[in-house]
Amino acid sequence: MQHYGNLHGSFVRACVVGALSLGAIPATGEAQESKALVVGRAMDFNSLDPSRSFCDTCQIYLSSVYDTLVALGADNQSLQPGLAESWTVNDAQTEFEFTIRDGAKFADGTSVEASDVVWTFQRMKNLKGSPSFLMDGMISIEARDPRTVRISLESSNSEFLNKLSAPYAGIMNAEVAAAGGAIADETAAEQDQAENWFLSNSAGSGPFKLVSYSPEAELRLARNDEYWGEKPYFAEVVISQIQNAVGQAQALESGAIDVAMQVDADTAASIRSDDVTVEIVPSYNFLYIAFAPGAKGMADVLTPEVREALTLAINYDEMVEFTVGGNGAKQAAPIPNGFPGTANLPLREQNVEKAKQMLADAGFEDGLSIMAGYPNDNVYGVDINIMMQKVQQDLKAINVDLELRPLTYAVWREELYGDGLPMTGLYFAPDYYGAGQYPAYFAMMPGTTWLARSGLDDQETLVNPAAADLYKQALASSGDEAEAIYEKIGLEMMKDNMIIPMVSPNLVLAYRNDIKGVRYSACCNLPLAELTRD
Amino acid sequence: MTAIPDIRVVPRWRRSRAVLSVLGQLPLTGKIGLAILVFWLLVLITISVLPLPDPLAMAGRRLQPPSIEFWLGTDALGRDVFSRTLWGAVYTIPIAFAVVLSAVAIGSFMGAIAGYSGRWADSVIMRAADVTLSFPPILLAMTVAATLGPGLSNAAVAMVIVWWPIYARLMRAQVLEVRTREHVEAAIAGGAGRMRVLRVHILPLCWTPTLINATMDFGQVALLAASLSFIGLGASPPTPEWGSMISEGATRFYSWWIAMGPGLAILSIVLATSFLGDGLRDIFDRRSRT
Repeated sequence: MQHYGNLHGSFVRACVVGALSLGAIPATGEAQESKALVVGRAMDFNSLDPSRSFCDTCQIYLSSVYDTLVALGADNQSLQPGLAESWTVNDAQTEFEFTIRDGAKFADGTSVEASDVVWTFQRMKNLKGSPSFLMDGMISIEARDPRTVRISLESSNSEFLNKLSAPYAGIMNAEVAAAGGAIADETAAEQDQAENWFLSNSAGSGPFKLVSYSPEAELRLARNDEYWGEKPYFAEVVISQIQNAVGQAQALESGAIDVAMQVDADTAASIRSDDVTVEIVPSYNFLYIAFAPGAKGMADVLTPEVREALTLAINYDEMVEFTVGGNGAKQAAPIPNGFPGTANLPLREQNVEKAKQMLADAGFEDGLSIMAGYPNDNVYGVDINIMMQKVQQDLKAINVDLELRPLTYAVWREELYGDGLPMTGLYFAPDYYGAGQYPAYFAMMPGTTWLARSGLDDQETLVNPAAADLYKQALASSGDEAEAIYEKIGLEMMKDNMIIPMVSPNLVLAYRNDIKGVRYSACCNLPLAELTRD
Repeated sequence: MTAIPDIRVVPRWRRSRAVLSVLGQLPLTGKIGLAILVFWLLVLITISVLPLPDPLAMAGRRLQPPSIEFWLGTDALGRDVFSRTLWGAVYTIPIAFAVVLSAVAIGSFMGAIAGYSGRWADSVIMRAADVTLSFPPILLAMTVAATLGPGLSNAAVAMVIVWWPIYARLMRAQVLEVRTREHVEAAIAGGAGRMRVLRVHILPLCWTPTLINATMDFGQVALLAASLSFIGLGASPPTPEWGSMISEGATRFYSWWIAMGPGLAILSIVLATSFLGDGLRDIFDRRSRT
């Protein structure tokens, strides 16, 4: 934990930055008088509907308003009872039976029943929204009685319980949501009209309930008096829109907000108020570069040998220094440090001479040119533009000319699925604690996102059969055995040289000294219900 | 035989004996503006021989504040901000010059045709100019640049599209005024062709407002180029273009020096061209004199 005392500031900071936070933040006095907790954040909501939303702020909101069957413990690894007070799993890990907690109620006072769980999971699957992958493999779900739910999967999945701890798997009050236009059956993808309803209503059993949401302004929550667990300390929580790190730091120093967790380490070092605590902790987020051999004109360029040469040219130590000022860590494979199977993965090292030789052997002794398009964003304290310029500098040493094209996210996405982007830079945060989500997204296996993004018409040439086999084995095993298999998967993904992690930035938790209980959660970012004020 | 008197009207600025005498008439602010522009011109010419660190390479530790070693500090990649600021002139000034020159050429040509020909040509050209001018300049430039794709050359094309109507209107107004003067009517009565009348008897009297405007617009074009780069539609990284540099510094307010260098550079260009433009107007435009 680091606490920054008085550090020199500047006139510019005093004049310019203060203006950033005006308007969107409740006055200090107002926040304290009402005892509301105010969190400053650049809200990235795409929806407030649990089955549609998919973002970092969504995780905070959903985990506060919707309880999940199982919850991630404070150690960020173990699972503990949530709405389900107990559960059983068969040996094959294909049958899961949950017993709903006696006395668990939704915010409207009605009891949480097994039918609500069935309705919620069926809707998530049928709606085909971003979080629907959590229900992949579910072949049946039934309410055996008002308190018992049984779920059957088509194949073994040792991570299914972890998936259910994701905030997106929060259980909804079926009756209330249906009255708001939500549909759970097979027509949900076309017929469900509840997205707008969810912008002003919630239907959960979590510690808070939604009061109001004003895009680009604030999200307001109130304590759920019907909550089955320990009631949260704060009667009201406000997530206030503050777009950038400097604005959040200023608001924190002035007392306009209580907590900020999007302040980058450089900005945090400039916080001089003695009333603010700054904690820098490792995160499970990471930024990476990715190759697409199927991008226009790249099929004969981005061969496995060339991709390996490019990865060897990068100075990973300097990358951590330049992107986050050393406040981060190198990461070997696209599975975050601290997740199962990562402890013994060998970190990538720079080897310029070998890279040059490999390029020459591949027929590019005179070098080559590659284009990299990427979202021009600052994510988790990392300016992707700076990260890509560092890659550009390193590749220059092996005579590779990297043309950089910073793009808006929408344009980036369009180009990614259009002619393709030979190289890109992006970021990833976990949806729950579990290594399985990474091969399912990044590995060169049939059906994964990044195999599709490789752009090759004949994707078979990129498929790594070993990774696919190992993934099946991992899902059918658990504990140390699964961890050992995930390590092998990590090695296979490293061998593919398609997704190259650049840095895992540390997370800055900055909060007023009187706020207690602030911690980083792998699934939920910031558990609001745990916060108290001295 | 009586010699035919030369009825060609020579513009006022050509009557000046020498450029130096014009410069001598500039007010103090105009001279300051000129001095700043000359400074940047010298930077532009000598930049490759100046003992500056490579603007694209790491020169020291990242995010160092200004010091004796690094006059304007270093940026997030440890590059020397002072060096990058001076190198920025290599991209911004030629682009601004090319854009203004192109806009003047296209706009003046269109304006002259519209003003002298009248009828349908006037209607078509002026309606096109009106439509273009009806959009906020930055919005139109963003739209065009986004359509063409990022890059300084595309940004330049976008800016020419934004700027030409200003000169078309200016030139048309001048031509409409001058074409009714007696010497023009005399030339027409004397059998001079339409193009000759326009080229020899009208246009030389129309350049003064265009020259003044172009001088002032130079800074505005530099500002717009920086704006386009700021939002990612201009120069591509790692080009040390001023707008891109400010964009990189915008999220690091505590490292204020990253944006300060290019910010001051843009300020100096805008001020200089504004001062010089005002000075030239004082000399050449009698109506503006108080």
